[in-house]
Amino acid sequence: MRRALLALALVVLAGCGGAAGGGDKNDNATVFAAAALTEVFPQVDSAATYNFAGSDDLATQITEGAPADVFAAASTKYPDQLYDQGMVDKPEVFATNRLVLIVPKDNPTGIQSVDDLRNPDVKLVIGAEGVPIGDYTRTVLENMGATDVLDQVVSEEDDVKGVVGKVSLGEADAGFVYVTDVKPVEDKVTAIELPAEAQAKVQYEIAVVKDAPHHDAAHQFVEQVLSEDGQAKLQAAGFGPP
Amino acid sequence: MRRPFEVFLAVSAGLILAFLLLPILALFLRIPPEDLLSQLTSQVAVDALLVSVKTSVIAHAVVLLLGTPTAYLIATRRFRGRSLVLTLIELPLVLPPAVAGIALFAAFGRAGLLGETLHAAGISIPFTQTAVVFAIIFVSSPFYIRLGIAAFEALDPALIEASRTLGAGPRRTFFRVALPLAAGGLSAASALAFARGLGEFGATIMFAGSLQGVTQTLPLAIYAQLDLDFDIALALGAFLVVVSVAVLLTVKLLPSWTRFTLISLAPSGRSD
Repeated sequence: MRRALLALALVVLAGCGGAAGGGDKNDNATVFAAAALTEVFPQVDSAATYNFAGSDDLATQITEGAPADVFAAASTKYPDQLYDQGMVDKPEVFATNRLVLIVPKDNPTGIQSVDDLRNPDVKLVIGAEGVPIGDYTRTVLENMGATDVLDQVVSEEDDVKGVVGKVSLGEADAGFVYVTDVKPVEDKVTAIELPAEAQAKVQYEIAVVKDAPHHDAAHQFVEQVLSEDGQAKLQAAGFGPP
Repeated sequence: MRRPFEVFLAVSAGLILAFLLLPILALFLRIPPEDLLSQLTSQVAVDALLVSVKTSVIAHAVVLLLGTPTAYLIATRRFRGRSLVLTLIELPLVLPPAVAGIALFAAFGRAGLLGETLHAAGISIPFTQTAVVFAIIFVSSPFYIRLGIAAFEALDPALIEASRTLGAGPRRTFFRVALPLAAGGLSAASALAFARGLGEFGATIMFAGSLQGVTQTLPLAIYAQLDLDFDIALALGAFLVVVSVAVLLTVKLLPSWTRFTLISLAPSGRSD
């Protein structure tokens, strides 16, 4: 039975391998990248294959053996964790980011600052704990002594796109996101800057996966991201320098 | 000549069974059973369980109350546009859950079709338990109605006819004849719809959001715990497997289920 199962698994794998053969031939890197990089990474390298999701989900996928070549996270937490587990090479900081408060263009509850979030009518959407945007949001609120606004939270999203989506739809009144998430939806939301001294230290780390199926392509991708050209594109998208 | 064919059948069945069962079994084997149980008493798990039970029970009550007469109507009456109504009922069955999510926003969201009317009435649905209930009803009621129609259609028309000719009105015929006779099939439909509602994920996470103790149902909690505490996710997953097995056993043990199982599981079987 066991042998038969293995045989079946091999048949399925062979079938999939055939289907993905095109990708293997030109040896492109498979990049597991944080959702916040969805718009900018294809500009940095259009040839790579991307899997965009929450950094935490990506880390889980890589731990469970997903065939990733590069891991680019919206924090230092998960790359460092995987590095400690020997799953990735030493991570490098390749960009920084900052948080802003976004409200829908019509701003029905008249929010001008974090203080206005205390209004009991406000529906606030934030990232869940354990998700980078969620942890940074809590840090910023702690720095501002405003953790009581968490009472207004109606949903804890699993990645930053969930927050952006619900605010830009106009279904939530406010949400904390990265400044780089605002551009694609700037006709739907207004961004409110947060005090610089309250900002969380948002660092993005990138690392080559130890068992990367396309090892060379993985290194080339990381070099491309860290190159002058890659950095210029990241900064044009609103990211800060490392 | 016969033997190789028997072997072929057995191997095929064995392979697909092993493929289906292995992941489910693995869910229980990854951590010791006592850890699995202790994870179920964690606050996140208990909150999710309470939210799921509450919303599922309310949604299911609505589905039964409105779905049963609907199924009876469609099964026993011939009217213009009947096949259109049938198709509409089957639509949510094949719709991707994410589509259900944005559709609910488009209808009941603040910026939605009924948004202003609801707002004027002081009602706000997204991100509430009502939203969870809506999402569950949207995905599970078609299930119940479709199987319910099959249950009513499987009744011997002669019995209904006899009830009528013996002087029972339509109401009496429904409550005293049709409903008791279809009870087995309806219970099976009910159990399957309940299980479908309990597992609802896509529409809920979009339309109701995810907040522990408020809108975070069991499947949402599994998703949220994936990165925080994989063991809790495993435990919740194992728990849902147990519930699903219980639902299936209930269905199997209902006597009249087998009578129309073939019809009900193939919706196109009766396209009149």
